[in-house]
Amino acid sequence: MHFISPLVKNAALVLTLVIPVAWAQITPEEISIETMPEPGENWFIAKTSNGGYVYDANSGEMQGLLSLSRYTPAVTTWAPRQEFYAAESYLSRGVHGERTDIVAIYDYENLRPIDEIIIPNHMARLAVRSHLGLMGNGRHLAVLNMNPGFTVSIVDVQDRVFVYETSTPGCAIIMPIAENDFLQVCGDGTLQLIQLALSGFEENRVRSEPFFNVIDDAVFDRVTRSTDGWFLITHAGVVYEVTTDDDEIIISDGWSITQAGEEGWRPGGRNEIITAHQATGLIYVAMHEGPIDTHHEPGDEIWVLDSSTGRRIHRLELESPANSILVTQESEPKLLIADADGGTHVYDAITFVHERSIQTPGAQNFEDF
Amino acid sequence: MNIEKIIERGYYWVDEHARQTSVTLARKLSRRNFLSRLGMMLAGATAFPLLPVARSFAQSRVEEVGDPQSCDYWRYCAMSGTLCSCCGGSYTSCPPGSEASPITWVGTCRNPADNRNYLMSYNDCCGKAVCSRCSCHNTERDKPVYFNSNSSTVLWCFGTENTSYHCTVSLVLGTPDE
Repeated sequence: MHFISPLVKNAALVLTLVIPVAWAQITPEEISIETMPEPGENWFIAKTSNGGYVYDANSGEMQGLLSLSRYTPAVTTWAPRQEFYAAESYLSRGVHGERTDIVAIYDYENLRPIDEIIIPNHMARLAVRSHLGLMGNGRHLAVLNMNPGFTVSIVDVQDRVFVYETSTPGCAIIMPIAENDFLQVCGDGTLQLIQLALSGFEENRVRSEPFFNVIDDAVFDRVTRSTDGWFLITHAGVVYEVTTDDDEIIISDGWSITQAGEEGWRPGGRNEIITAHQATGLIYVAMHEGPIDTHHEPGDEIWVLDSSTGRRIHRLELESPANSILVTQESEPKLLIADADGGTHVYDAITFVHERSIQTPGAQNFEDF
Repeated sequence: MNIEKIIERGYYWVDEHARQTSVTLARKLSRRNFLSRLGMMLAGATAFPLLPVARSFAQSRVEEVGDPQSCDYWRYCAMSGTLCSCCGGSYTSCPPGSEASPITWVGTCRNPADNRNYLMSYNDCCGKAVCSRCSCHNTERDKPVYFNSNSSTVLWCFGTENTSYHCTVSLVLGTPDE
């Protein structure tokens, strides 16, 4: 201490007196918890293997997270109740132990689970958007099962009860249509219509005539809604629109999205490869060039087609190939693209201008809400 | 001397000679020594007649060419998942502690070693965390999930105590013409 000058001693004294006074003038901050605001235009959920990331496509900002099981096929929503619904599967010890499959219900305000309904432990447990479907009346949720035969669990999400499990041999995916019906694609090249009663139990079951051959040119199990029904596409790129009139299944004539000289171009991707904007009738398909059986190759381009004329109106070249796509249903829609490297990209779906890229850990499918 | 007496004396000679030899051996050798030598003799004797048969078995085995830890290995043409051969198992065996699913999807793959098509069974090994090594996704003749016997997308841990996916093996079931 003999080596410290008086000047340094005084400075140290001043500092020790002044600093606590300065600290005392700052009000200690308190932690708070956000709640979800009203959803804006072009909000969407990027469903990944560890949850549903809620984004605003207009700003690219994340709004919150739905904690889902890693086996959840998809999330859906019903705006009048401000709820999200997800099929989930859990093992009591993570990778082993007792299995429990549920339909989980999340509230909109906090993205928290507010209820759950136990369903048979038969969920297909695949990241396929159409393995889950809420009927048009917003009451009955259908979950695709595979054990390994196909069945469907019907859950009344309004009354929070499991209704029953119905066998659908050879037929999979859920395409809700009309008020309380759903269509399925079957391995024998047909469609199946199941009509539910108000109770949720099956009232009627109808099968179409065969319209495709699964060996020669299979219909993808990735489908998208049209204005009145659903668009289906085959591995070779033939599009069908399917609708119903009460218990009648109506299948349009197929039309090819490729032109002469483009036979090497095919639809493909690991997840959702087709999406449609219902108001404009525009269909977007992830396309790549390759031989047959390359239907899981990600798309190097997005082809935009006018469903009313069957004509292609744009080819959007991508820097990073697409594995999953969705167009939002707003009047100024956005095209969402999950690339093969785990990134999410937002395009203007009408001008096809890239607007932003969002860091998302591997989106498997998107949900517009 | 008639023929019957000659045969009778022959039998007597054989019996007597066998008796004396047995007694002599019994005096000279212990029982354990006898059994061990008898065992060796039987083992050797069984090997000789089986050799040609064993050779014919070897000819019916599938000839292998390539790297079983590569997604391009011929057995994996319709296989999607992670390779058990990279995870402590092989292309026919599950890694330690996992369970083999008895329910499978199938594919048809051409073996470049003999240029023949083989019917393949892809069995998932289950009950442990995913082995995140050697992830492959081949889609030869792959079909959508609604045609699940030929769909590589499905998690095939059915009929097992635990239904979590670990990795996949590729077994030859036969040739299409069998």
